[in-house]
Amino acid sequence: MNKFPWAAIPALILGLALGLGYAWVLAPVEIVDSSPASLRADFKDGYRAVIAASYAANGDLPRAQSRLALLGDADAYQALSGQAQRALASGDALQSFQLAQLASALQGLAPAAPAPTSTEAMAQVATSTAETSVPPILPNTSTPFDTSALFPVYTPTPRPTRTPIPPPGAPFKLATQEPICDENLPEGLLQVFAMLTNNRRQIPGVELILSWAGGEERFFTGFKPEIGNGYADAILAPNTLYNLRAADGGATLSDLTPPACQRANGESFWGSIKVILQRD
Amino acid sequence: MKKWLWVLLAFAAGIGLGLLYGWVISPVEFVDLSPETLRADFRADYILMVAEAYETEHDLDLAARRLAIFGSASPADIASSALPFGPSAGFTPSELALLDALVQDLRGWQPSSGGAP
Repeated sequence: MNKFPWAAIPALILGLALGLGYAWVLAPVEIVDSSPASLRADFKDGYRAVIAASYAANGDLPRAQSRLALLGDADAYQALSGQAQRALASGDALQSFQLAQLASALQGLAPAAPAPTSTEAMAQVATSTAETSVPPILPNTSTPFDTSALFPVYTPTPRPTRTPIPPPGAPFKLATQEPICDENLPEGLLQVFAMLTNNRRQIPGVELILSWAGGEERFFTGFKPEIGNGYADAILAPNTLYNLRAADGGATLSDLTPPACQRANGESFWGSIKVILQRD
Repeated sequence: MKKWLWVLLAFAAGIGLGLLYGWVISPVEFVDLSPETLRADFRADYILMVAEAYETEHDLDLAARRLAIFGSASPADIASSALPFGPSAGFTPSELALLDALVQDLRGWQPSSGGAP
């Protein structure tokens, strides 16, 4: 029986260590030609924002979807919604609007309004939002949306013709306004639905202005699609009178204030208000 | 003599196995990459998106900020880097015109205070 070459074992281990050291440290696999999915999270956010800005400009949803698929988000809708809320919180109303508009479009709706032609208008939005003193619009919890099944692979070649973004419709009119005494809703909740008169289709991306003595708050429909794509809400403080209108004009609802309600046991609480705005 | 042959063979086999494992089976995984590593077509498509948005927004500072993720080169140079790639990537003439318009506008652009990179 031959004698086993025990000295080969440490040589093997040494060689293995040298090989691994070379492969992992000295000459690791070089990454070139990476995909957007490999980007750092903040760069992904920037990429997503540019996709939304591009969509706001050309209204090309399939292309926006194929671009979003490149980022490898498990839930593109949620990624857009979350980023829209972060952008709104940081005062970037333009980016927030564009992201929310694309998120709403992913839910199967066409964009409701054209993107602003200038960032100046949205800069004003950001300024006034920063001055607000009322609790901001509550963040939403959104429903899952799997885009991976739609566009799993990047196909850069399709260049469809540009889809013109629909022009804004007629000014909004008040359809209904009703006080609601529901103990299960947050006190002072203002619920707003924006919809079309003819088919009652809800309209996302509508900018609403809530004003009161000494303050103003702007918010958008479409951030809570699990309730409605044309839905937006805000919290009204008791004993304060508010005015509500759409930013692009139309009826102004005056003297909105939470109704006083009573529970079954006689306790009082502040109810909510439901408003439906319609346009042709 | 035969013993040292075994040692040399084992050493070489170790190196080979190490390289195989480090390069093929379990290569270093790169995550959190910067946009400079993007493949040329993704990069060009990103620049095209910036040009599309600029067409509507008319905000050169914003366009320059968006392009700045590709490094410290001038925004005009970054934008123009997509032009040669555009035809092979299937960009339409109108898209190439958008890119060209952005490049031209960026050539004369001066950063506003605190706005651009």
